[in-house]
Amino acid sequence: MQPPEAPASKLDRQAEKLSAKLAESTTRLSFLGRLSAAALAIAGGSAVAAAVKPDEAEAFHFCGHIWTTNSCPSPYPPLSRIDRKGYPLHPQSGKPIDNLGRVVDGTGHALDGSGNRLRGPDGAVLPPAPRTRVCEDWTAEVKGLRDLRVQGSWFRCCGGQIRKLVDCCSFSRRRINGDASLTGYCWGGRRVYCVMYYDTGLPC
Amino acid sequence: MLETFTPAVCGSRKRQIVAQALFTGAAVLTAAALGLALGFAGSLLGGRYALYAAAGLALLAAAREAGLVRFPLPQARRQVPERWRFELPLPVWATGYGAGLGAGFFTFQPVSTFWVACAGALALARPLPAAACFALYGAGRAVMVVWPRRRTDDPTAAVERLTRRRGALLRANAVALVVCGILLAVAPTAGGATLVQGAAYDPSFSGGAIAFANKAGDVVVRPGGGSPDEVFSDVSQPSLDGQYLAVNDGAGISVVEWTNGDEVARVDNPNASRPALDWPLVAFVVRDGGFKRLVVRNLQTGGSKIHVAVKATFQLGRPSLSGGRLAWHVASRKHSAIVLKVLSSGAKRVVARTRIGLLQNPTVRSSRIAWVDTRSGASHLRLGRVWGGPRTTVETMRTRARGYWTTSLAPGAVYWTRWTLATGASAVYRTGV
Repeated sequence: MQPPEAPASKLDRQAEKLSAKLAESTTRLSFLGRLSAAALAIAGGSAVAAAVKPDEAEAFHFCGHIWTTNSCPSPYPPLSRIDRKGYPLHPQSGKPIDNLGRVVDGTGHALDGSGNRLRGPDGAVLPPAPRTRVCEDWTAEVKGLRDLRVQGSWFRCCGGQIRKLVDCCSFSRRRINGDASLTGYCWGGRRVYCVMYYDTGLPC
Repeated sequence: MLETFTPAVCGSRKRQIVAQALFTGAAVLTAAALGLALGFAGSLLGGRYALYAAAGLALLAAAREAGLVRFPLPQARRQVPERWRFELPLPVWATGYGAGLGAGFFTFQPVSTFWVACAGALALARPLPAAACFALYGAGRAVMVVWPRRRTDDPTAAVERLTRRRGALLRANAVALVVCGILLAVAPTAGGATLVQGAAYDPSFSGGAIAFANKAGDVVVRPGGGSPDEVFSDVSQPSLDGQYLAVNDGAGISVVEWTNGDEVARVDNPNASRPALDWPLVAFVVRDGGFKRLVVRNLQTGGSKIHVAVKATFQLGRPSLSGGRLAWHVASRKHSAIVLKVLSSGAKRVVARTRIGLLQNPTVRSSRIAWVDTRSGASHLRLGRVWGGPRTTVETMRTRARGYWTTSLAPGAVYWTRWTLATGASAVYRTGV
């Protein structure tokens, strides 16, 4: 069962909706300017976005991420591409994947390369495998942390669309790289443990 | 031999490059073929004990290289035939030299490392990885032909420089062999498997016999001691216990004496499947309404008890029943777990649980329990004790293309199914534990 959405996440969604609305109604440059203003307007919330460049953002280990914190553990390391709710997506195709890294349909059944449901050696359709959130489930289990939350996020232009970069935050003073963690866009005493990204599909 | 690749003897620089390329190709291919053969032989023999033998051999070889012990190496104390380069065309002799040195057996071996590599390839028991590893041996042979020629001076001088450093090289080789021996000794027994039956899945072992389902839609019981197979048509999901065999025949669970085919009991329910037999008890999964239930029935008294009930959207896999213990896996969209229950006391224990992988198809026997642990990009066959404690990894595959399926524990061994996701092809293997 999906846990109730935290107020911070709701605010984050509103920020995304606002971003989409702005993107639909403006030119790229004016959109970006207004996006910055909108982001500032909801400063203090989870969508405190950094200045969005109109050109391709610089990348440290994936496009848009200019800091050094590594990606969260995911089915397709080292990239942690997620959907709006934090569940894993295939880094290249953007299709939903289960925890085994298999592309799945809407009911969670694994698909083969032709889009048909995978069958086991006995010929029966494989039942759905677990599909869990990259921050709260994957990182928590792999790194043994129980306090991980998706908090901060910011936006960059990557591959011609707006990419939302998301912080997975923990009270840990040590980030996934093994060295000291930064506050980043986390709040309430949490710091950035690892990062993920969500491609919004909105052109920029 | 090195001087035969020099322009002074062979002619132009182009001719030298052609000779080196042919030598390299032949050496790499021959070495890879040798690795392939050794890996294939290992897969037939079973690699677990060969792995320890290889580790021991590496340490023994290290002691030899360090001068602690002395023993002769099995080898042909020859160099490559010199007359070849006078009698044969360049493409032939260059290729022949490469093949001869790449194979390793036909020339003088100054150190024992080659034989340790052979033992390692045998222990790997996987032809393609062994071929890839051994190809490096051929590449190394080629480097020793090409490298001295990177400068314009006499290539034999480079060999003489190496010879002057023989002591240091032997010490380095000894250290490398010690490291190799340690790594082999502590390595998981990955690849130490023996193919039991191709195009088969769902193994079930009992009393020296093994049953499995095949792609033709039959269940085969293979008795020990070389007796002929017993084939049961149009059934699946075998579970063997002594002289009894439980199968799913589409209309329910049928329990037969596999030696004569007589049905001794049945569960008449087309929704019943995945039997696990521990006579007179049989466990099976029943799907009814919105639920899946794990039921244990006493085939002599007719009494039944539901031990697990989960929503129909959950996975409730093939159970395992042995010695009064019932094991099963359950998986939802949020987690998966291997669960063990003692039937007499009702005590239940979660053997393993994860939110980021898929744990499935456990098998329990005596004090041991084995199960499949599939993660993104890797599958593992785990083994633990029913009361907990440390677990070992019996087998590992680091690929998304293949995975483990059902398992069955036997005394000193675990049988398991390997399958290919794209094609559904499967085979049953055995690994000593």
